[in-house]
Amino acid sequence: MSETMQEASVQDIQERAAIDKSARLPVLFFFTSAAGWLFLATLLGFASSVKLAAPELWDACPWLAYGQLFPAHMDSLIYGWGMQAGFGVMIWLMARLCRVEIKNGVTLVAAGFVWNLTILFGVVAVWSGYGNSMPWLDFPAYLWPAMFLSYAVIAGSLLMMFRRRREGEAYISQKYIFGAALWFPWIFAVANLILNHTGGSALMNAGVNAWFMNNLIYFWFVPVGLASAYYIIPKIVGRPIYSYQLAQIAFWALAVLAGWTGFNRFLGGPFPSWMPAISGTAIILMLLPIGAVAVNLLGTISGRGSLMHFSPSLRFTVFGGIMFNLYGLLVAFSSYFDISRLLQFSYATLGYDIMVVYGFFSMVVFGAIYFIVPRITGCEWPSAKLIRFHFWYSSYGIITIVAFMIFAGLAQGGAIDDWSGDFMDSVRRGKGYIVALAVAWALISVANLAFYYQLLMMACGKGRKSEGPTLIHKNPGEAASAEAAAGFAPEDTAKA
Amino acid sequence: MKKEFPVFILGLAAAFIVPLIFLIVVPYLQLSDAKPENYSEEDDVVAAWAYPAVWTGANKEGEEVYASQGCAYCHTQMVRPTYAGADMWRKGWGGNEEEGLARETRAADYTNDRRAMLGYMRIGQDLANVGTRNRDRAWYHQKLYNARTQNVDSSMPSYKNLYRKQQIAQPSENAIKLKGRFAVEEGYEVVPTEKAEALVDYLLSRKMDAPIPGAGTDEEVAAK
Repeated sequence: MSETMQEASVQDIQERAAIDKSARLPVLFFFTSAAGWLFLATLLGFASSVKLAAPELWDACPWLAYGQLFPAHMDSLIYGWGMQAGFGVMIWLMARLCRVEIKNGVTLVAAGFVWNLTILFGVVAVWSGYGNSMPWLDFPAYLWPAMFLSYAVIAGSLLMMFRRRREGEAYISQKYIFGAALWFPWIFAVANLILNHTGGSALMNAGVNAWFMNNLIYFWFVPVGLASAYYIIPKIVGRPIYSYQLAQIAFWALAVLAGWTGFNRFLGGPFPSWMPAISGTAIILMLLPIGAVAVNLLGTISGRGSLMHFSPSLRFTVFGGIMFNLYGLLVAFSSYFDISRLLQFSYATLGYDIMVVYGFFSMVVFGAIYFIVPRITGCEWPSAKLIRFHFWYSSYGIITIVAFMIFAGLAQGGAIDDWSGDFMDSVRRGKGYIVALAVAWALISVANLAFYYQLLMMACGKGRKSEGPTLIHKNPGEAASAEAAAGFAPEDTAKA
Repeated sequence: MKKEFPVFILGLAAAFIVPLIFLIVVPYLQLSDAKPENYSEEDDVVAAWAYPAVWTGANKEGEEVYASQGCAYCHTQMVRPTYAGADMWRKGWGGNEEEGLARETRAADYTNDRRAMLGYMRIGQDLANVGTRNRDRAWYHQKLYNARTQNVDSSMPSYKNLYRKQQIAQPSENAIKLKGRFAVEEGYEVVPTEKAEALVDYLLSRKMDAPIPGAGTDEEVAAK
């Protein structure tokens, strides 16, 4: 079963099996519905980029205007796929790390149903012209309490698990999950209360929106992604984290900086000028925790990188980690006026947002799903070929999106910055890159169809029944673990 | 960790609350206090209105149409000062250059809006001063109906859902002029709905180049 070989007592193995069994229902529910949303989100991404390149296509249908397709695409990507897949990872990791069984599986699924219905309603509303042009908060105002409540149920069970935990010292992954569980309802409630239920400053409403977007990235997507990476990498490499202290420092540095970001989206904006400045500074300082995480994870993998050749979980996780570091560097560069004057309102903004939500978070979560699902279903992934297909199409797709959106941003932003030129130059120069965006989303859609198919097979219990895990570049059952496949002797492994 | 647990929670809370207070709550309360200011004689402003002027027309409803159609995803309403971009130098973006009014946008410019539509990307023009650039309602309607009527390369979606095709009983004054491949069948015309009129009201109200009370005239500012 396990991708790592470790000396576990019979009792340990039984305990883990019991936890996995208790996690099966809620975790599979969140993963399968999230994967459905992901497929829809990538299709919408494709459709919206096609419409951007060919605005007159099907223009009798108002639902297909870019201004409605694009927010519907982002919202289903973030709330339908991202957060929901994150819930599954959080629940399983928390249960395993706290060594407690999940007692309220049905309640979690009920909360999940509410979440799904609310998101469905919200996405249809945005899509059909009832959105409000506030990125990532487009849903009609009356929907947020339902999302808040269903999230509260999920977060509440995570916190309860943490209280019931048996181990003394908390793992770094537990801390990240705990933090994410608590932070999201706070930022979500504050943003929605200010935007929907107070009649104050119109300008600050836009500011709160940008603050929410960046807080969602740094207070939720990044912690959940890192919790997964800090678990998966040591597990598969078969070593404890390189430095627990460094991980702690990075955790607190991230937490302290995260809340100050957001206004960097409006450098030179009409706010008091210290506000964008402080957000830009926080984004640049964020390089410290990001660098610390990189050092820590690289230190853990060091010398055993060849495991990536075999283990799908490790491969996806490392890819996500690299994207996270690149994201940190790029947004830090873009916090300088010389670069933000070109890129701030260009396609690069879109590229960065996709980079962190898809390139980093989603890829890490794919890694976690490839690790978790065999454990909770008791069967192995049907096809290593499809996993490989999923990896390469996704990674080519996301690299294409990021690279092309940055170049598109430079071309488009550069044309606008050339103030005496024709404005239409910026539109014309950007257009070619949009075709690449559409192609990339098509690649990613196909990749995710393969992923969705495999996941549904697993959920129906139609996976491969075998002793060895499904490894890339190995025949089924040929090696008992990625470590054995790579020819490493088992080291003393991380606990849990 | 059991003993450290309250400290841990406190740390998480502080990481959230400190920036919330200083970055969101305090500026929010301060900026929410802003009220339209009247010009004094020193300001040498000919018109008698306050800053920012209170707009008439259906621009409140127009703002909702603007938001629901997702306009803010491709259009910004924010002119950056020269240290942060070349926005002010682009013709018409900063406001009326001929009268020396062009400037970057300021917090008070948005006082009459419900939400400032600062924007996400700039696939289309910045609209902070679109109401200064063009006062012709027909031009707006034609663009909204199908932007290709004015520029073949335009990426803007057609908002045909905001317009109504009807049989001509008596030619309407506000019917959109459509030629060539955009023309509708003989005996029909395209007229704006209420939503389209509200949206145009809102767009015409985008004039963020009014002189600032207390700043003095341009010459005085330059002399300082």
